[in-house]
Amino acid sequence: MIMKNLTDVEIIESVKKGNQADYAVLIDRYKNKAFTMLKRMLKNDFEAEEILMDCFLKAYNNLNTFKFESKFSTWFYRIVYNSALTKLSSAKRKIENDMSSVDDLHFLQSSYNADDLVKEDLSILVKKIVNELPAKNAAVITMFYLEEMSTEEISEVLQISVANVKVILYRSRNLLREIIEKRNLFQEVI
Amino acid sequence: MNNINDELLNKYLDDELNREEKDLVKISIESSLEVKKRYETLLKAHNLFNSVEEESTSIDFTKLVMKKLNAKSVIARQQKYFLLSVLSMLGLIILCFVGYAFYQVISSMQPIQSSEIVTNYSQNFGNYFSNLFGQKNLTIFGSVLSFIMLISGYFLYDYQKNSKKYFSH
Repeated sequence: MIMKNLTDVEIIESVKKGNQADYAVLIDRYKNKAFTMLKRMLKNDFEAEEILMDCFLKAYNNLNTFKFESKFSTWFYRIVYNSALTKLSSAKRKIENDMSSVDDLHFLQSSYNADDLVKEDLSILVKKIVNELPAKNAAVITMFYLEEMSTEEISEVLQISVANVKVILYRSRNLLREIIEKRNLFQEVI
Repeated sequence: MNNINDELLNKYLDDELNREEKDLVKISIESSLEVKKRYETLLKAHNLFNSVEEESTSIDFTKLVMKKLNAKSVIARQQKYFLLSVLSMLGLIILCFVGYAFYQVISSMQPIQSSEIVTNYSQNFGNYFSNLFGQKNLTIFGSVLSFIMLISGYFLYDYQKNSKKYFSH
């Protein structure tokens, strides 16, 4: 109970001193958010959990190299993001370029304009849209909204410029806005 | 009012505009229905993204990770002990050889004057080692060492295999 109130830095210092069990607190703190990001990037529950497990083991093994120069979350999400990219590339799946192409999002937008989807629950629809976003967009949306990370922190994780992070964020937001407009969901949303 | 593009609206939403730009966008939203609708829909999109709940891992996820970490520590400890025991064994063998060599040299010495003792000791000791690592004995010594290394290598490989098994999914 007391451990849960400690900061990431305090927990890491405790783990470094040999209290391995304290690492469980960090796992509990980040597992769901990191899992959400991985699931949205990999579009697969099982792979997401498998990669997440590797990420926690990797982070533990490299804890001595963590110099507290950045937040643990930024450092850990970089491991998670890079592991997801490695998994995607090893599976020979398409990895979008530094800037997601507009066509990708247009394709997504057109697939959510069908009339048979109008009656669908809005929250489910949004979840579906988020889950179908290209890997990089999904990662940005998750870190920005779920982890409440700043665009600067996200740029550090993704190793891209802050401007690029903002472009990805705005495009994803605009996509959802256009879907809401085209499907006349405005009243429903209000 | 048409100057208010999506980027400006997004920046307004994230509070990233300077005072002048902010005022401009605010006035546009208040005076133009089109801009107002665009902004409100964008705000709703923002709120919807915000409302998407996080996904959950399996219930025993933390336990599973900790179990793997513990298993890894145990294997690392076992490997350390194993390497230490192999090194100790090699050290012991070398010590036995040196001890035996000393015994042979000392037992073959005649009681002589103390000034000559050091010279004779080193000479005899050198000769003994030359004989010990001569062509015939070196083969035996090498074979024993190779055998020990082979056995150690096998056990090391076995430990590595076990550790891989622990960490594969």
